[in-house]
Amino acid sequence: MTRKIFNSIIIVAGTILLSSVIIIMGCLYNYFEDVRERGLKDELKLSMAAVEDDGVHYLEKVKSDRYRITWIAADGTVIYDTAANSEEHENHLERMEVKSALENGEGESNRYSDTLFEKTMYYAKRMNDGSVLRISTSSATVGLLVLGMLQPILIVVVIALIMSGILAGRLSKRIVKPLNDLNLEKPLENDTYEEISPLLLRISRQNKEIKAQVKAIQQRAAEFEQITGCMNEGLVLMDKDGIILSINPAANRIFSLDESCVGRDFLTVYRDHEMNLCIKNAIESGHCEIQQTRFGREYQFDASRIESDDEMIGIILLIFDITERVQAERNRREFTANVSHELKTPLQGIIGSAELIENGMVKQEDLPRFIGHIRKEASRLVILVGDIIRLSQLDEKAELIKEEINLLQLVEETTENLKDIAKDKNIEISIDGKQVIIYGVRKLLYEIIYNLCDNAIKYNIYGGNIKISITKNNQNAVLTVADTGIGIPQEHLDRVFERFYRVDKSHSKETGGTGLGLSIVKHAVAYHHGKIDIESKVNNGTTITIKFPM
Amino acid sequence: MRSRFDEQLAILNKEMIEMGALCEEIISKVLKALTDEDKDFLNGISTAGTEIDRKERTIETLCLKLLLQQQPVAKDLRQISSALKMITDMERIGDQAEDIAEIIPFVENRPEMADTLLHEMAKASIKMVTDSVDAFVEHDVELAKKVVSDDDIVDKYFDLIKQEIIREIISNPKDGECSIDLLMIAKYFERIGDHATNIAEWVVFSVTGIHKEG
Repeated sequence: MTRKIFNSIIIVAGTILLSSVIIIMGCLYNYFEDVRERGLKDELKLSMAAVEDDGVHYLEKVKSDRYRITWIAADGTVIYDTAANSEEHENHLERMEVKSALENGEGESNRYSDTLFEKTMYYAKRMNDGSVLRISTSSATVGLLVLGMLQPILIVVVIALIMSGILAGRLSKRIVKPLNDLNLEKPLENDTYEEISPLLLRISRQNKEIKAQVKAIQQRAAEFEQITGCMNEGLVLMDKDGIILSINPAANRIFSLDESCVGRDFLTVYRDHEMNLCIKNAIESGHCEIQQTRFGREYQFDASRIESDDEMIGIILLIFDITERVQAERNRREFTANVSHELKTPLQGIIGSAELIENGMVKQEDLPRFIGHIRKEASRLVILVGDIIRLSQLDEKAELIKEEINLLQLVEETTENLKDIAKDKNIEISIDGKQVIIYGVRKLLYEIIYNLCDNAIKYNIYGGNIKISITKNNQNAVLTVADTGIGIPQEHLDRVFERFYRVDKSHSKETGGTGLGLSIVKHAVAYHHGKIDIESKVNNGTTITIKFPM
Repeated sequence: MRSRFDEQLAILNKEMIEMGALCEEIISKVLKALTDEDKDFLNGISTAGTEIDRKERTIETLCLKLLLQQQPVAKDLRQISSALKMITDMERIGDQAEDIAEIIPFVENRPEMADTLLHEMAKASIKMVTDSVDAFVEHDVELAKKVVSDDDIVDKYFDLIKQEIIREIISNPKDGECSIDLLMIAKYFERIGDHATNIAEWVVFSVTGIHKEG
C-alpha cells in the first residue's frame, strides 16, 4: 500500500511538472513569436517608405543579418534581394505570401527548414507601384528551443523528482501508519480514518461471530469427549489413512495405550494382522467385524467406513466387551444340551419298559417291577420339570410375596419332611440356634433348606450326621448346614452351583438328583440378596453357610 | 516430487509393519499349536507363510522402484536398504515357523521338562520378534539393542534343552526320534531369535547409520 501511494504521488508530481513546462514553454514561445511578427511588420512599413523614396539604393544600403528584404516586381521577378543575387531567383509569383500580397495588398506565410529546427517568417506587402516588398526572418523553432534548454530543464526535473520522491515516501508512510497500527482484536476502539470504520465495524461483528462459533465448537468437542469418555465401549476414530483422530479412555484401556497415540498410524500402535485385515476390509466393503481375546476377555471389534458425499473420510472402530455375552451363550448352549439329555434319560427308561410290556416279554410276576420302574422314572421327570420351572421362575425374577418368616421354625418343618429319607440312611439331624425372623419368600426359603438338607442326606455316609445351625451376626441371619458326607473335591467347588453340574457323573442315577438343586439354592439366595459360602473336604463333609441380610 | 517420495516411504513403512505383524502372528500360532496341539492352527500357519512371501515380493518391488526412481541419499537410502535386508530376515522367520509347524504333528509324548523349557524358549524368541518390530516402528535404538542382547537368553535355553534331550535319549533310547524332532524345533526357535537380532541390527543402522562391526 505504501508503495502504491508513493507511486501515485510520484506520477502526479511528474505529470504536473511536465505539463507546466510544456504549457509555459508554449505560452512564452507564442508571445515572442507575436512580438517578432509585429516587429517584422513595422520593419516592412519602414522599408516600404524608404524604398518608395530611394528605390534599390536603399535596399543596397540595408545590410542586415536578421532581416532579408526582397523586392519583387508585379510579374514575380525579383528586383532586388538583400540576401542573394536577384538574378538567381526564380519567379516568386507562386509564393504564397507574394500571391496574397498581390491580390489583397498584404500576405504572410511560415516555412520550416528541412531539419525543422529553423522557421522562416515571410511578410509581404504591395507597394503603390504594384510591386511587392517582402521581408523575412529566420528563428529557431520550439524544438530547438527545448533542445537548448534541455540541460537546465533536466536538472530542474531531476531535483523536483528527488524532492517529490522523498516527500512522497514520508507522506505515504504517514498515511499508512494508522492502518498498520490498527488493533484488530478490538476494532471499535481504534481512532483512525473515517473511511475504514465500516470495515472495522464488520470486522468487529465477525470477530464476535467467530468467537461464538469457536465456543460452540469447543462445547461440542467437550460434550463428545465426555460422552465417549463415559462409554464402556471403546471408540477409535481414524482418518482415511488410518491415522488416529480420537480415542476414548475405554479403547485406551483395551489396547493399553495412552493419549499420545492420537495422530499416529493405528497400525503402529496396535500391530495385529487380523485387525489390519479387518480395517482394510472395512475400507473396501464398508463394514467388518472380528472377535478377539485380550487379557482374558472377549472383545468384538466393529470397523465401519465413514462416508461423506460418496467419499471415504475415515474409519470408526467400536470395541464391545462381549465376555459376559459369550459366557451366557455358552451357558445357554450347555443348559439346553443338559436339559435335553436329562429329560431324555428317564423317557428312554419308560419307553424301554413299556415296549417290553407291550410285546408281552414281561412275565406276569415281573409286571409290578416294570410298572414301578415306569412310575419311578415318570416321577423323576416330574421332579426335573418342576425344578426347571422353579429355576425359570427365578430367572424371570417374578415378584413373589414376601412375609416375615421364623427361620428356625421353617428348618424344623423342612427336616420333618425329610425325616424318613434320613432314617433310611441312619442319619441324625440336629438343629440348634435362636429364633431368627427374616423377611422373605416362604416357598423359596423352603426350597433352600430342603435342597441343602436333601443334598446333605444324599451325599452323606451311612450313619452320618447333619448339623443345622441358625445364628445372628451383625446384620445377617446365618444358616449353616454341615454334613459328614463324601465332600466335594476342590476343583469342583466353583462349579457345583451350575445347572446340571455333577461332581460324579456316574452317580446321578444312584442318588437320583436332578443336578438342579444347588442351582435353585443359588438363585433363591440371590433373590434374597444373600451370600453363599461353601467349604468342603473330600471324605470329611461339606459345610454350606448362607447369610441373609436382615 | 519430494512429497511423492515421502508418500512412498510412508507406504514402505506401513508395509514393513504389516509384514512384522504377520511374522508375530505366524509364530504366536506356532506357539498355540505347540501348546494346544490344535491342528486348526497348523492350517493357518501355511497361509500366513504364503502371505509373508507375497509381502516380501511387494516390499522388494517397492524398494527397488524407490531406489531407481528417487535415487535416495543419506537417511532415506539407509531406510530403504535396511528395509531390503530386514524383509529377508522376516521371510526367514516365516519359513522357520512353517518348518516348526511341519514337525509338530510328529512330536508325540514329549518329555515334560523339555516341553516346559521349549515353551519358555518359544516365548522368549517371540518377544524378541515383537520387540524388534516395535523397535522398527518406534525407531527405538535402545529397544533394538536390548533385542540384540536378549539373543543370549534364547541361546541359553537352546543349550538347556540340548542337555535335557541328551539325558532323555540316554534314559529312554526308544523315543530317540521324538527327541531329535524336539531338538530341531528348539534349533528353529534359536534361528528365529537370530533373525530377530538381525532385524534389530538393521533398525539400529537405519536410525544411526552404524551397523555392528564386522
